[in-house]
Amino acid sequence: MRRGLKFEGVAVAGIGMVRFGMLREYPIMHMARDAGLLALHDAGMTLADVDEAMVGYITPGSMIGVKAMKELGLTGLPVTHIENASATGLVAFREAAWAVASGRADVAMALCFDKFTEMGGTGGRGGGRDVIDAPILPASYFALWAQRRMHDRGTTVETYAKIAAKSWNYGAVSPMSHRRPDHVVTPEEVLASRMVARPLTSMMCCPADDGAACVILAREDLVRERQPGRRVVKPLASALQSESYARGHTFVGPVVGPSTMTRDTALECYEAASLGPDDVDVAFIHDAFVNEELEYYELLGFAAPGGGDKLVAEGATGPGGRIPFNTDGGLLARGHPGGPTGLAIVHECVQQLRGDATGRQVEGARVALAHLVGGGSVCTVNLLGVTD
Amino acid sequence: MARVPIEEGYFRIPDDPDAPPVLLGSKCPNCGEVFFPRRMVCAKCLHEGTEDVDLSTRGKLWTWTYCEIPLFGKKDTDVPGYGVGQVDLPEGPRIQAILLGGPDDFEIGMELELDLETLNTNRDGDDVVIYRFRPVDGGT
Repeated sequence: MRRGLKFEGVAVAGIGMVRFGMLREYPIMHMARDAGLLALHDAGMTLADVDEAMVGYITPGSMIGVKAMKELGLTGLPVTHIENASATGLVAFREAAWAVASGRADVAMALCFDKFTEMGGTGGRGGGRDVIDAPILPASYFALWAQRRMHDRGTTVETYAKIAAKSWNYGAVSPMSHRRPDHVVTPEEVLASRMVARPLTSMMCCPADDGAACVILAREDLVRERQPGRRVVKPLASALQSESYARGHTFVGPVVGPSTMTRDTALECYEAASLGPDDVDVAFIHDAFVNEELEYYELLGFAAPGGGDKLVAEGATGPGGRIPFNTDGGLLARGHPGGPTGLAIVHECVQQLRGDATGRQVEGARVALAHLVGGGSVCTVNLLGVTD
Repeated sequence: MARVPIEEGYFRIPDDPDAPPVLLGSKCPNCGEVFFPRRMVCAKCLHEGTEDVDLSTRGKLWTWTYCEIPLFGKKDTDVPGYGVGQVDLPEGPRIQAILLGGPDDFEIGMELELDLETLNTNRDGDDVVIYRFRPVDGGT
């Protein structure tokens, strides 16, 4: 019987991240070190306090997690490598939370880093990888999904542009956002940007970033003891699924995966937490391409199927709305280095739940949802909350 | 000059240069589900052992886009962009592939037929090819 994880007695001890961007001059090991130190300082700890580490990345090779951890110290702690494409960071978070919840660690660290600027080319013609699924670029896959929705639901490009403008404008007020526009971005500006794969324009697509982020989880009583007076944020539940087969499944290429995967993973997480979408105050999702956000409004239960467009029209997912999404700008503005993305999401969840999200604070936020998909083949949904 | 597939095991190149390529699929002898590409374990009923089948060369367009980035990530610009689609074959599989045609040539539900795109020439002087779909009527 597969079921979501429910976490008891676990709390976030510390968070830290390097602001994402094209950081060509910033060595990846130094980014990892700096994110780790920021989280340790936020927790009031040193590596000597950490019993276990989950290290995640997509691109560098074998055992780089251990190498990165040595930048923080050599204490003999167990290090486990985790890779689940874009979902890597949230899965590292989930496993670190479970390490503490299971009782095998008092303190566990999730540390992720990646450099998309050092990734290889996009493959295909003229010296690229000669494999069947290389020639088509990721933007195309998500554009296929967007086009089908426009056909089925009558969604307009203006709706997609409104969502993208919201994310860019959240980026402007989020200190950790890569994209921080100096003016209010309008849907018209989004639509006027360069076409990538119709209907997606460049301002509807996330940047390929470099970055690092770290989250430290610990026994709740330890966190309360070390951080008196600070609001304690806790992981509540987590679910992780891979693809389920249904007619129409595409097997060749890094496809977007079946949309049911997000719906089913969310149900599993809600059930584990004994919570539902009505209990969630702020949500974070995988918006590498803007149309994903619209789909996830519905698949995560914030709107009925086909009801996402109305949420956008009402402004329900922006500042002051019923359920703000991606208050740090999301993948679209905050950026998307790969592995660390999920921990940047946790970073913003914690800031929102601590009440520290100046300029973008969701008033009275008590429950946050963190969702990512990875490689079109996995989905994870996690709930965090404050209980006092 | 011979034509060779970008990767073995996915499609067969006919001797007749005007004939469409054939996608290589699998059919489950237990539940009848058909898959592309070939697989040994049925993804629907988990039966072990499938039969090799040739798939239809025509299908209906489920969704499409036109990627305005030079073909396959090429940095030069002699190819302005390329269509990408998902095509439902009558046996069931949904095939994701490059489409032949311009940005105004596609419509959801239209019938498409397989043919081959030449990607490059390998060291032996053979054309490296991949399957693609083109509209049955018209297209370029």
